[in-house]
Amino acid sequence: MKFALLPAVLIFLLAFPASAADEATAKMPEAHFAIFDKYCLECHDSLTEEGGVNLDDLSFKIDSVASAELWQKVLNSLNSGEMPPEDEPQLSDKEKTGFLDDLSHELVAAREILSDSGGMITMRRLNRREYENTIYDLLGVRIDAEDLPADTNSDGFDTTGASLFFSSDQFEQYLKLAHNALDKTFLLSKEAPKVMSFERESEPSINKFFEKQSTKLKSNYDKAQEWRAVAKEKPPKAFGFIDENDVAFHERLYNQQYATYRQYLDRPESKTGILLYRLFNGAVLDTVNVSPKWPAGEYTLKVRVAALEGAPSHERFLEYGIKTANGRAGELDLLGCVEVTGTMADPQILEIPVTVEKTGSRSYGLRQRQHNNRDAARADFLKAQVKNKVGPPPALWIDRIEISGPHFETWPPRGVTDLFFKGREWWKRPDEDAYAREIIERFAARAFRIKEPSPAYLEKLYELYAKGKSDGKKLHEAIREPLATILASPGFLYLIEPVPASGEGRNSPSSTKREPKRKLTDPELAVRLSYFLWSSPPDKALYDVARAGELSDPAKLAAQTNRMLKDPRSDAFISSFAHQWLHMERLDFFQFDFRQFPEFDDSVKAAARQEVYETMRSVINERRPLKDLLKTDHVVVNNLLADYYGLEGVEGGEFRKVSLPADSPRGGLLGMAATMAMGSDGNRSSPVERGAWVMRKLLDDPPPPAPANVPQLSRLQGKLLSPRELQNAHMEEAQCAQCHRKIDPIGYGLENFDAAGKWRETMILTQAGRKKKAKLRKTIDIDAHGQLPGGAAFDDFAGLRDAIANQGSAFERGFIEALIEYALGRPYGFSDESLREKLLKRARAKNGEMREFILALVQSKPFRTKK
Amino acid sequence: MKPDLTSNRRTFLRSSSALIGLPFLESFGFRRFASAATPITPPKRLAFLGMGFGVTRDSWFPDLKTTGTDYELTPGLSPLARHKDDITVIQNLSNQFNNEAHWGSTFWLTGANRYAEPGQSFHNSISVDQVAAETLGKETRFSSIQLGYRGGDNSGHGPGLSLSWNRQGKPVAALNTPVAAFHRLFSDDSTPLAERQAALLQQRSVLDTVLEDAKSTQKGLSKTDTDKLDEYFQSIREIETRLSKEEEWLDVPKLKPSQPLKEPGEGLEGVEEMKVMYDLILAAMEVDASRVFSYRQPLDTMIRSMGSTITAHNMSHYSDGPRKDVSEQRDAKQSELFAHFIDRMKGIQEADGSSLFDNTTLTLGTNINSIHYLNNCPTLVTGGGSGIKHGRHLVMKDPKSPLCNLWLSLLNGSGIEAESHGDSTGIIEELFV
Repeated sequence: MKFALLPAVLIFLLAFPASAADEATAKMPEAHFAIFDKYCLECHDSLTEEGGVNLDDLSFKIDSVASAELWQKVLNSLNSGEMPPEDEPQLSDKEKTGFLDDLSHELVAAREILSDSGGMITMRRLNRREYENTIYDLLGVRIDAEDLPADTNSDGFDTTGASLFFSSDQFEQYLKLAHNALDKTFLLSKEAPKVMSFERESEPSINKFFEKQSTKLKSNYDKAQEWRAVAKEKPPKAFGFIDENDVAFHERLYNQQYATYRQYLDRPESKTGILLYRLFNGAVLDTVNVSPKWPAGEYTLKVRVAALEGAPSHERFLEYGIKTANGRAGELDLLGCVEVTGTMADPQILEIPVTVEKTGSRSYGLRQRQHNNRDAARADFLKAQVKNKVGPPPALWIDRIEISGPHFETWPPRGVTDLFFKGREWWKRPDEDAYAREIIERFAARAFRIKEPSPAYLEKLYELYAKGKSDGKKLHEAIREPLATILASPGFLYLIEPVPASGEGRNSPSSTKREPKRKLTDPELAVRLSYFLWSSPPDKALYDVARAGELSDPAKLAAQTNRMLKDPRSDAFISSFAHQWLHMERLDFFQFDFRQFPEFDDSVKAAARQEVYETMRSVINERRPLKDLLKTDHVVVNNLLADYYGLEGVEGGEFRKVSLPADSPRGGLLGMAATMAMGSDGNRSSPVERGAWVMRKLLDDPPPPAPANVPQLSRLQGKLLSPRELQNAHMEEAQCAQCHRKIDPIGYGLENFDAAGKWRETMILTQAGRKKKAKLRKTIDIDAHGQLPGGAAFDDFAGLRDAIANQGSAFERGFIEALIEYALGRPYGFSDESLREKLLKRARAKNGEMREFILALVQSKPFRTKK
Repeated sequence: MKPDLTSNRRTFLRSSSALIGLPFLESFGFRRFASAATPITPPKRLAFLGMGFGVTRDSWFPDLKTTGTDYELTPGLSPLARHKDDITVIQNLSNQFNNEAHWGSTFWLTGANRYAEPGQSFHNSISVDQVAAETLGKETRFSSIQLGYRGGDNSGHGPGLSLSWNRQGKPVAALNTPVAAFHRLFSDDSTPLAERQAALLQQRSVLDTVLEDAKSTQKGLSKTDTDKLDEYFQSIREIETRLSKEEEWLDVPKLKPSQPLKEPGEGLEGVEEMKVMYDLILAAMEVDASRVFSYRQPLDTMIRSMGSTITAHNMSHYSDGPRKDVSEQRDAKQSELFAHFIDRMKGIQEADGSSLFDNTTLTLGTNINSIHYLNNCPTLVTGGGSGIKHGRHLVMKDPKSPLCNLWLSLLNGSGIEAESHGDSTGIIEELFV
């Protein structure tokens, strides 16, 4: 027996060559031996072991957690300047930069190799988005899962199973959300609510208010003047004022506001409607309240509106939203923004859909487009008032508003008919409890997608119902507890792909320790596919193909993928993938300074974000190459964004392709307002942020994480430096230079875009004075020349964009790695290299079409395998 | 007829994971009479306040050369002057494994090595507060309370749902608004007792039902997926524990603190929010609702509420100029709020005549020193709960002394037997002499 073993092992080794993960190693180049010799080993050799550190035996291959830790220590102590000690010979800048550069990259590689799970896919629960969508699919109602714990992840996507935890309170939150959703659904199961409607003129209340205010201001002011006339003889109290300050206060109020109110009331437009002014106290809102007695649902606002003659184009937009308790005057929870094309001679009627919720604010406000910030409205007002006494002229006028609803596409709604599949009138049925049992069983089966609920489980669900009945509840009340319980059960919450018991798997001979793997069944493949492309469960068409056993057929799989990509539900894939892949959460990190960027308000920001998604959508739909995302001759924009980019002739809020002049900096990710705004802090552009982003996302050459404990540059503090001068400073210290020599030049190549993504030829340097020192300020021309890491030199932004577009294969590589992570729900690992190369090859054979990458991945073995 | 169901479920729970003891088994059916009234010997308490991004380097840390009682408070600490004899500033403590320059909280109370587990890109271990809760939490309505803030994660805390991580190294969720914390701690359920008992029974039936499905789900899973599903079981188990506690405490009304509390407003943010959270911690300590607290504090909204327009991240990368001003103002505000917390602790009397302060240990700090520095974590300890001799500035001789040595010292000082925590090498003896 002993002898027979050996050949078996050999055969096994031949048959199962080491995987890519086994081969991949992180290794410090041996050229650095000399540095060790020269600077380290005197103290840290096996004899001396100063500080317990022995570098003699440290392998230059970083192949274990222990050696990675020791190398990390080497990196940390060099970065912090702790080593070599001050009184010992120091590395030259060149040596240090090279060494740190290699070590920080190799260490990142080592960590990745050591963390590689070998392609294993950890079962995952639904993330918040998927949970919301799945509830919608089942019950036909939208709920907000914001109260669930965040889908935290150290880095990567919200589909990564290993990082999606289930925390202690979470179960109860699921139960609560399920009850909320069911309450919403059952609310709809009664008779169809009557359509309510209400119409009102916009001007009466505001005119009355302004009339009253201005009268009061005037009378106080007049009294103040009366007192001033006799100020030497009588105290302010005699005229009803507290003291002299109070007099001044009322004079100030009068000066600030009176002329504006009078001018408003004198304008002919105010006799027939409301003018959407910006005032000292914030923006004027036209508000309409929905009665708390009206049922929740979809409503329509009909607004008769016009833009005033001479109003600038960017102000000819109407914003609408919800007024909340936290908002200050004129602020809204913004819902949307529509262009106004009507004129005073020929006003238009805008129809705006709104969802009225059962709880929360039912107060809807409309205002002229602007920053969602009372301070911004006040600043605009004060600035204009200096010139014209009355504040900025309004651009919009609203005649009247009508609200009507709720409207339903069908009655009873889908969610109700899906549940009460034999009709709603359960109370007329003699077999009420049997019906309830069927409802529960049917719902459990739908909610569980492909897992079959066990009989014991179904029985317990029924018992929950029976208990409710015995407590005197009616069917529609008693049935909520079991239905909510289903929505908090593992069969619903997790995407379950069971495997055969260890040893039964196809590759079991290799090792009993290895996780078994197997091909997915067709229904399982359907679920994986729909959560990848829709973040939702499969629809009937997909289930049908899967249940017929046809989905594993490559042609059918491709056909379904194409169908699903065409379906609007795939917006969920495009937006969540792009948002996470490109780190677009940065767009929400800061408030953009309204003084510097008056036009970059929330509406433009939302449109800028949407541009990224819509551009990808058009590349997928039109079967264009992925590389088109780097450089194109057109943009995909709506009216708002076209106005922001200075493109004329774009009408309407929908996104569409618009050709660009040859010399336009737009077209491609680098020319997008969203991308450039992400590379700022809301005030100033950040060349480092932008440069690092380009290296991570476009060049697939991510810089290592910002090292800890690098001594700060203090020499330059308080000086007014151009970006170039700062760059030179970054180059002085080897610890900084190792990365910044690559990052910074790209960032400076993008300096022609300001913090909000508008084009500029010059920039203003400012240094706000610390404490009471004076503010420094100067204007410089932008110098965008530079060089890509180890590559092409460029003279300006156009050159930079071309140089990056020329490295399109790196972009493709980074994209497919991200797509693998998102779709498979696990980190991209070193063992995925061969998969990546295969997918790249296949997609490149079809002109590198973006859609082809998706198709190739869906048809790849890992996507169809549970490992 | 409930015993049948519950004993089955428990048998199952016990068998489904050998790792976890079921604390409620010991206490099931056992009425803690002592807890209903205030105990004669006041209990030990621990609270941890995590700041996120680090402090201003040259104006927060006292001069390294002036140790012991003979040190001067820096501008960042000066609002604490009236408590100087009752606080301890410790320098040269750090977590050796943390290399994440933006993660001030993930490993702060755990000392774990992110990469300790081959094949995984993230690993963590139990946090010190949760170790303490295993002992100190037995006799209170809530074993521990985790507090946090709502919204984005841009305050320099790093991954996690609170400062706390459980025995399995998984994140523990927090109460993220004052109003949620208020209701959890102090809202009395006005439903009649019988109805609440019925509701508990109902909750148990629901748990039984989902466990039925969990059991059948577990059958076909791979090893990794089984581990994943264990989080679900763990969640159910923790609810079980809580329900058992709720049962025990069902007819014990939630006590009211001496200073009446109002229901906090919904939209509280920043400094106001922190003040209310501090009040809630104090009130919860006073009525002995829990003895272990962790609070992952907001920073973005904190500085915004102080009038700043920059982000916390931006502030943390200060250089001379307005960003540094914000950073320094933030330090001072932190110390001011902390000083106020100490005032209140000193003013609340325990049954034996001592004060809340005498029996509590409160730590303020973060894993980030300043900017991107991870050495010398800012650490401020106060309160008499673990027997620390306060009034001093302690500088550890070894500039890389494990922060976990402090955590171990606080555990032992609070009467909790633990031999080690994280990468600790022993207690910090200087604290006690």
